[in-house]
Formats: sequence, structure tokens, C-alpha cells
Amino acid sequence: MMNVNRFVVLSKAFGVGNRLLAGRARHVGREATLLQLRRSFKTHSRNLAYAKDLFLGQLNKAEVFPYPEISNEELEELKQFVAPVDKFFSEEVDSAKIDREARIPPETLNGLKELGLFGIMVPEEYGGLGLSNTMYARLAEITSLDGSIAVTLAAHQAIGLKGILIAGNEAQKQKYLPKLASGEHIAAFCLTEPGSGSDAASIQTRATLSEDGKHYLLNGSKIWISNGGMADIMTVFARTHVDVDGEKKDKISAFIVERAFGGITSGKPEDKLGIRGSNTCEVSFDNVPVPLENVIGEVGGGFKIAMNILNSGRFSMGSSSAGMIKKLIELTSEYAATRKQFDKSLSEFGMIQEKFAIMAINAFVMESMAYLTAGMMDRPGLPDCSLEAAMVKVFSSEGGWICCSEALQVLGGLGYTKNYPFERYVRDCRILPIFEGTNEILRMYIALTGMQYAGKVITGKIKEMKKGNVSTIMGAIGQRLRTSIAGPADLGLTGKDGVVHQSLTESAKKLEQNVHLFGSTVENLLYRYGKTIVDEQLILKKVADVLINLYAMTAVLSRASRSISIGLRNHDHEVLLANTFCTDAFFKNSYAMVQLQKHSPENNDASIKKIAKEVLDSRHYICSHPLERTY
Amino acid sequence: MKSTRCLLQLQRLRLLGQSGRSCVQFGALLQSASTSQPSVLQNKVLRHFHSSTSCGKNRSVPATFVNEDKKKEDKSLATYDDLFERVAKEIKTKATFNKVIDVFNKKDIRRRGHVEFIYAALKKMPEFGVEGDIAVYNKLLDVFPKEVFVPKNYIQRMFNHYPRQQECGVQVLEQMENYGIMPNIETKVLLIQIFGEKSHPIRKFQRIMYWFPKFKNINPFPVPKQLPEDPVDMARFSLSRIAGDLDAKVTVYQLPCTDVTESGEEITLPHIVGIQSPNQMEMLAKHNPNKPVFVEGPFPLWLRKTCVHYYILRADPTPPEEKKEEPYDPERCLDFPLQLDLDLDRDLSEEETFDVEDLEDGPVFAMCMTSKGDQATLNQWISGIQENNPILGEVPTLFRLDVGSQLLQGVADTESNHSNQSHDETQGQEPQPGEEAEVIVDKQPRRSQGMKQ
Repeated sequence: MMNVNRFVVLSKAFGVGNRLLAGRARHVGREATLLQLRRSFKTHSRNLAYAKDLFLGQLNKAEVFPYPEISNEELEELKQFVAPVDKFFSEEVDSAKIDREARIPPETLNGLKELGLFGIMVPEEYGGLGLSNTMYARLAEITSLDGSIAVTLAAHQAIGLKGILIAGNEAQKQKYLPKLASGEHIAAFCLTEPGSGSDAASIQTRATLSEDGKHYLLNGSKIWISNGGMADIMTVFARTHVDVDGEKKDKISAFIVERAFGGITSGKPEDKLGIRGSNTCEVSFDNVPVPLENVIGEVGGGFKIAMNILNSGRFSMGSSSAGMIKKLIELTSEYAATRKQFDKSLSEFGMIQEKFAIMAINAFVMESMAYLTAGMMDRPGLPDCSLEAAMVKVFSSEGGWICCSEALQVLGGLGYTKNYPFERYVRDCRILPIFEGTNEILRMYIALTGMQYAGKVITGKIKEMKKGNVSTIMGAIGQRLRTSIAGPADLGLTGKDGVVHQSLTESAKKLEQNVHLFGSTVENLLYRYGKTIVDEQLILKKVADVLINLYAMTAVLSRASRSISIGLRNHDHEVLLANTFCTDAFFKNSYAMVQLQKHSPENNDASIKKIAKEVLDSRHYICSHPLERTY
Repeated sequence: MKSTRCLLQLQRLRLLGQSGRSCVQFGALLQSASTSQPSVLQNKVLRHFHSSTSCGKNRSVPATFVNEDKKKEDKSLATYDDLFERVAKEIKTKATFNKVIDVFNKKDIRRRGHVEFIYAALKKMPEFGVEGDIAVYNKLLDVFPKEVFVPKNYIQRMFNHYPRQQECGVQVLEQMENYGIMPNIETKVLLIQIFGEKSHPIRKFQRIMYWFPKFKNINPFPVPKQLPEDPVDMARFSLSRIAGDLDAKVTVYQLPCTDVTESGEEITLPHIVGIQSPNQMEMLAKHNPNKPVFVEGPFPLWLRKTCVHYYILRADPTPPEEKKEEPYDPERCLDFPLQLDLDLDRDLSEEETFDVEDLEDGPVFAMCMTSKGDQATLNQWISGIQENNPILGEVPTLFRLDVGSQLLQGVADTESNHSNQSHDETQGQEPQPGEEAEVIVDKQPRRSQGMKQ
């Protein structure tokens, strides 16, 4: 029985592997044929992604099982890339020095350029490595060993040149990509302005058409621009006048701006807590002439471009954090094994053991999520994985912070000193929950995107229920009764057509149970709040957290099932990690969903808001000092 | 049941007190007449009087008494009000009040007539300005002889022991309570020494100590005991208090000063202190320039016993047909949808707000305080605000000043008022005097011209 099951999983895994192969940009020729092949056994639209369906209580297992793979050739190729990069980072990069001097030495930068790390995802025809998202994620694991370098590279290619890559025309690509891919030019992404980060209305930088109509004049200033001081090519977003149906409107457009155009000044680099080697500064534009052909996409179409760039850059944070944690485990475990206390080594103490377990689980989950998402993105077509990518980012940035802090804790006072790299890791990884969209913003995005999707589908049903349609209500009650008597619905992860390995059955059941409950919770929330759920941030936060956990559970189940099926080394350890994580996440989800079913006065939300209001109204801590007296 | 009994008892006490007072007046007279007698005799007489409370009633104080009183001030205590008047002839301060108590204390070791004295003192306290001083109350309680009124056996304890004295003690505490004075540990020690552990005054003390601390910080907007002396500081304080917005910025448009012009005329410039928050500036900037704004006032603001006046710049509420909601811009937020495109409203069970009948009022754009509420001065204020709110140059400004209260205010400084107006005129600003009752339309362009000059 088990063998048969494994065989099924295996064959499916190979199938996806082939499909993944097709996803790579350089195999353009084969893409079309494989696309057809793929379409032949997919029935629904490609735009449907896994996470959105969870909001309806559906587990779209075909999307995430089996775990995506890359072909043997690709793996070989990847290993060839990875080895020298790994060597370079362990031998040539002096992270302590970069942190101390707050700059990356030119020879290090040159080394990175020679390795081709400035154009990992730029197609080969433009002089880049032309790697897929999956392979990019693998390299990010290594580059993340130095936060400053990781951020510099990410600002360059994950957002800086992404605009040209995804929305630029052929001429723009020909002109700019080769130099950017080689690292001769460095790119930056200029969106944020002093107003605020996510509010497009705060963008005051303006591009006005010059009198002769040949170029735009760019005026304004941008803040917190990574690589702002050294970038030669910038993607700048500015307001432009656009005629929409004869009406003049202010719309945002994206421009490629070369420093050589003149009129660009960079401020002093910001003195930061972490990632000190990366260059972050203010960039001012004073009547910078930008030729008309340097508009990316359409004039007035900058908003969509900015959104797409931001949404596509996030998935790699999962593998970056995982890479960092794996390194930390190596560093700390050596200490824990050698350090003696009461004639015992640290590794024999339960509380220290727990820290290593936390680190291992987190690294495992992040890896699983990151490569699952990267694999989904590498599929042919234009899969919209922004929701999944956002979840990877939120989970890994927070997990990374916890793990760095736990690793430091293992060393105690030693970890707090500059003699060890742990304090630097802690400082560096504090940026993760902040940049590329703060986790708060991303949680809103995760929850609201799903709510919008689910709302569209079940609005009709809810309206019927509100009207008092007896059959709908009876249907809902009947369904609830059925689940309470017969247990949660079987969503098909296990059993006859199961995709999860038997050793993970328990965890799969938990996931199914949670998904089912999540569906009804979402329905309940939409019934209660309707479109005003936008203003219920505390609820949305819980919804997002549950969804992130569900996606994480899916990722580990999928990965561990594959590992055990094809017999990867230490797959039993993976099963252990997966089961542990799923049990933990199941409890967290159940608790969060119980809270979500309650009304705000009962689940503390009302009190939390009230506390915050009272403090914020007076703008200080308002309790009397405990030593204060009245008589 | 219990409380009614208490009330009855109190009434009885009060009656007793009245009769007792007249009786002791008589006693005092007697005492003053017999100062040369041996103290033994005096004692006897006193005791005799103490026990019989009815005999003084039909005797009035003879006319000679007052004369005698004048001769020997420290001996006679005919009416204690008089004692206070005499000791503190010119100045009524805490020191003189304490002196009166000292005089009374020293006069007689037995503190004869102390109950009447304390009642009189309580009445006089506000006059001396010591009604809020705990030390004085303690000193007053100290007048009671110690340990005499403490019940010593169960019968005394069962019945109301020395009811008149206990009532007097309660009255002292009552007055403290009325003035919001918290008793301190000294008060407690005194009361225990005088009346014992379970007496009425101690009960009263305990009740006060139960409630007072609870109410001490009940006011979320406490007014400090000591208000600022300087009118500018006072205006600053009052304005921030009314504004209730931590972002609101106080601007002093003019400091009070006295100048002598070339012609030798003395000019007193009033202080002008204004407050405006960023939100108010934003609202003002969005104001429809075709609709007038109004300067209104003065409105009173009471801070403890001080009353100050303020003026506001306001507009009528926007009529509903002119209100336009900002259209939802889907390209506003880069990261998440600000609105959901759903046809579902909030369920009734989630509506947590009450149905409150809201009456909309017009926006208040700024407030100011000045020592002189005429139009010229207020115009100066408006010009000051205009620097940060350029829209005021386009909006007609109407002055709707309440003349009545202004007259009341302005009586004292009519002189300076006049001179200031002429001063304003020379500056080419509003020539109209502020006392005009009608609403005057201010020609805004002229004011902005004046600004430019």
C-alpha cells in the first residue's frame, strides 16, 4: 500500500519537475509546448492560487502537492554557481569590517560582480545569469550571510532593476540591462517619500513635460533609498499629468533615471542600527531631464508597476532567513557542545535544547515555504503568488528575529559582545520586519486580499441568509451538524487519493481541520462585518496569522512528504520537524479562530483598543506612580 | 431609621448649642466682672453655669459690656466675632487669625467657651483667607481641651457623651470637607485625644478619609491650585485647556506693554494670545471662501474663582448639499486595498455605537484671548493668523462681539482703549471702534494691503 502511494507521489513529483523546467525564461522555445501539456491536465484558471482558496475552506492540493522540484541539469548548474559563491562568502567577505566601517569594500563588490550576483535573474541574452526564482532563492541563502551585501544586492536586482525587467520595452532592456547585470551600473528603487511609505498620495515628486516636449523634468526628493549614494540607474516614481477621458489627472509614472542626466544629489548615508554596510540615503532631483523614451510602461501606469515590483521581490526573504539561521545553528551548536556548566555541557540542558529545536523548525519551515513559493512562481504563465510571497516574508522575518535572538541567548553575555557575530546578526535582521512592506502592512494585504476573494464568492449566500432564506440557513446548519457528528470534512490530503505521506497523516488531518474551520470563520466574519472589515485591523491580523500558519503547514507537509517518498537523507528528521510544527501551529490556529468567533468585548480586542486610545489621547503612560499617595 | 435618629439628635444638639451660647455670654460677663476673685470661686461659678443651661436665656448683655470690652481687650470674649475684628483690625491674615486663637488659648487654661469660639472662628475663616489651610483647622481643633470629652465607661460610651462638643468637632470637619481640605494625621491624633476612638468626630474623620482620596483625582482636567499670575501665561494656560489638542500651537501675537508716544500720550498695548492646531488650519484652508467666517466673543471661562474671556474664529456648518466626499482612489495604497469591493454591510449585531442624535455645529478655526476685546485688537489677531492661513485674505470676516460684557470689561481702561484705537488707525487698519453694536463687514483686501505695508 505504502509503496503504491509513494509511487503515485513520485510520478507526480516528476511531472511538476518537468513543468518547472518550462518555467525558466531561457527555455522559451519549449515553454509553449509544455504549457499546452500542462493545460491539458489543469482545469481551472491559472490565476487561482492556493492561498486564496483557503479563505473558502478549500484545500487546492494540486497547487502545492507534490513539492516543486528542479531538474537534474538545473541542479547541477545551480551547484556550480553555489560553490564559488559559498567560498567567496566564507573566505573573502569580512562582515565585521563591513559593519564597522559602514561600507562594502570595492574589492568585495568587484568579487560579487565577477560571480555574476548583480544579474542573477536577468536573462542571459542581456548578460545576466538568467536563473529562475527557485535558483535565485538558493543563492539568496548564501548572500544573506552578510546582511549589508544581501540588502545591496536585493535593492539592485529585486527592486532596482525589476521595473525594467518586467515592464520595460525591448529598447530599454537592451540599453540598460547588460550594464546592470554585470554590476557596472548599480540600480536603486526610488519610491518612498517623506510623507509615508505605502501611501501613494504622499508622492510629491513631479515630472513635468518640458516646453519642447522632448523630455520630462523631474523635481522632488526621495528618502531611505537603498544604494541611493552609489546607484547609476534609478527607477523613480513621480506624479505626471495625464489626460483621462479629457480630464486632467495626476497619475504616477515610472521613469528610468540615470545619474548622468545631472541634477541628482544624494544625501549623507543614514546611520543605521543594522545592515550598516548598505548605503541608504536621501536622493534629491532638481530639474533632472528625463527623455520620453525612459518612461517605463505607460505614462500614468506607475502605480501598477510599483505594486508588481514590490510584490515580486519578497519571496526570497524566506530562503535568506533560513540560510542565516542555518549558519547560526552551526555557530552556536559548537559553543553549546563545548561549554561546560556543572560538569555538563550546555547542550544537555533542556532550555538550551529547546532553542536549537526552535531554530531548526523555523529554518525548516522557512525553507519549505520559500521554495514552495519560488516553485509556484516558476511555473509557466503568470501565476500571481504575491499573497504567498507576502506570507513567506512575514513568517521568515519574524522567525528570523526570534532565532537570532535565541542564538545570541545561547551564548549569554558573550553573544552580547562584539567579539562574536551574533549581535550583528540580531541588528541586521531587525530590518526584515520593516522593509519591503512592514509586516503590519503585509498582514493587511494578506487578510484583505483573501477577504475580497472570498467575499466575491459568498456574498450571495450571506445575503440570502440575512434575508432569512430558510433553505440556505438550514443548509448551513446541516453542514455544521455534519461536521460536528462526522468530524471535519475530508479535504483529500490523506486516504485513497492522498498526497501526504502516511507518517504525516496526523498533521495533515490537523491542517484539514484548520482549513475547514478557517473557511467557516471567514464566512462568519464576512457575515458580521461585511466590507467594514477593512477597519477591523485586530481581526485582520489574526486572519493573516492563521493563513500564514496554514500555508506554512502546507509547505512542510508537502516538502516532508516528498523527502520521505524519494528517500532524501535524514527525511525522518524532516517528518519530525513537520509534525512538531504542525501540532504547534494547529494549537495557535485553533486559539486564534476561537478568538475570531467571539465578539470584540470577549476576545480582548475592545480592551486593547481602549487601552491604546487612553494612552494615545494623553500621549504618555497615564498610570500614577506606584509610590504616589493621595493623603 | 438610624439616620433619622441621627438627624433628630443633631437638631437637638443645635438647639442646645444656641441656648448654651447665650448662657456662656452671660458667663463671660460674669467672669469679667469678677476677675479679682480667687480662682477657686471662679471655678465654682463656671461649673455651676456649665450644668445649668437655662438661666442665661432671659438676660441680655448689658450695654456697658462693650465699653468694658474696649478697655480690657484680652480679657473679655463677649462675642467672639468681635474678638476677631479687634485683633485683626487692619489686616486679616493667617498670622492674625492664629494670633486670635493664641489669645483665646492663653486667656484661660480651662478654655471656657471654646465651643462658641470655634463656631465663631469657623465663620470668620473665609474672611481671613485661611479656609483652605489644614494647619489652621488643626490649630482650631487644638482649642478643645484634651481627654476631657473622652468617654471613660460603657455608659458614657453608650450615650452621646458631650454632644455639644462633639457636634462642634464635627462642624469643624464639615467645614474642611466643604472646602475640600483633606485632614492629616495630626487631625486624627487631635480628634482621638479630644473625643476618643469611637466618637462622632472620628467617625466623620473616617468617612472623609474614605471618600476624599477616591475623589481627589476624579477630575480628568484638574485646574492647578495656583493659577499663573502673568496674563500671557494665564491666556496660554487657558487656551490650551479649552483647545484640548496636544498639537495646538499657542502664538503670542502681542505682548502687553506700555509705550509713550512722541506727544507724551501713554499707550497700553493689550496682550493678544491665540491658539490654533494643524487640524484647524487644514479645515480653514478647505473653507469655502465665499462664506464668511465670524469672530465671536467674549465667552467666559471659569478657572476656580477666576473668570477669563476668550474669542473664537468660526464658520457656519457646511450645508449638506455642499459636502463632497473624497472619492475612493484605488491607486492610493501601494500595498493593500483600502476598501473592499463587496456588497455586504456590517451586521446589526456588530454595531457597537449608540444611536445618538448629533447636532452639527460649525467648525472653530482658532481661539484667542486678549485683555481688550475691541475690534481693532481682534483684527490684529486675525492678521496674525493670516500669516499661516493665507485663505483669510479671501474670506470675508464678520465681527460679532457681545457688547454688554465688553463694556463691563472695558470700564477700567477706557482711556487706554481710546489711545489704542487711534494707534490702530494710524497704522491704516480697521478704523471702526470695537464698541459698535452692529456686525461690521471687514474688507479683507484692505487688511492684506495693510499687511504688505
